[in-house]
Amino acid sequence: MKFQKRRANTKQEIPTASMPDIVFMLLLFFMVTTTLRQVDVLVDYKLPEAKAIEKIENKRLISYIWVGKDNRIQINDSIVQLKDVEPLMYAKRQSLPNVIVSLRIDKGTDMGMVTDIQQELRKAYCLRINYSSTIKI
Amino acid sequence: MIKKRKIAEAAIPTSSMADIAFLLLLFFLVATVIDVDTGIGLTLPEYVEDLNTVEVPKDRMAAVLINANGDVLLDGKPISVFQIKNNIKPRIISKIDLPKNKKLIVSVKTDRQTRYNTYIQALDQIKQAYFETRDEYSNQNFGRKYNDLPEKDQDIVKEKIPIIISLAEPEKTNK
Repeated sequence: MKFQKRRANTKQEIPTASMPDIVFMLLLFFMVTTTLRQVDVLVDYKLPEAKAIEKIENKRLISYIWVGKDNRIQINDSIVQLKDVEPLMYAKRQSLPNVIVSLRIDKGTDMGMVTDIQQELRKAYCLRINYSSTIKI
Repeated sequence: MIKKRKIAEAAIPTSSMADIAFLLLLFFLVATVIDVDTGIGLTLPEYVEDLNTVEVPKDRMAAVLINANGDVLLDGKPISVFQIKNNIKPRIISKIDLPKNKKLIVSVKTDRQTRYNTYIQALDQIKQAYFETRDEYSNQNFGRKYNDLPEKDQDIVKEKIPIIISLAEPEKTNK
């Protein structure tokens, strides 16, 4: 008499047919959330740390000003002089009326520099600012 | 005998589809920077050529002065940066029930040589004092933290405890 092992008839494979779909869904999520960096930051800076910080909800409203360790100011893609800040920011405000200016200033900068930029911003009517800082734990 | 021609199946091989998709996925995973912009928000006053100064009663003001060495004076008393919060907080609390034009104004003034970091630390302390007061007030009256309140209640708290930070007008410099 021959014994035959009884095997389950069900397949023991994970169905992989829908794998591409799952991956594509993940892919789509990341494609949508990614904002590719448009500007190269030309200045070297280290942000200060703070505890009472807020998130800026609307990324589209943000416009950045960088100030590096060597007191160079960068707006958009280029290094600018202090006197150029006002016309540049005024143009920005015209295309985006409620612009939020995120100031990414190195923590070793003198306050004189910061006040000068703020004065320029006030002249350009960019009144909503945000001192960019990282969270302190 | 007639040889039966095998009919080639016209199918695109889809087994590598997952691999291709994974590659793309990996690219976007690496390229994504999910950095939320965080920082201390502030609204600057409008620019006016010649300003007319308004006298503010002494008890409404909390003047924070920071000199070039990073020493802090709060209303004339020298304190350290990290004491600002605890010094200002009781003053904010004492003014919660006062009308709108009697709330505390925190004025920050720095020297041109003050380091930006010190200024942010001071501003952070002031903001913390305000946020903690708001949280406590919300807890007492609504039983929840400020951030968890519905917008309508947040507005009430905002009205009661407005954040008024005044940046001192820079002194005219001869450049």
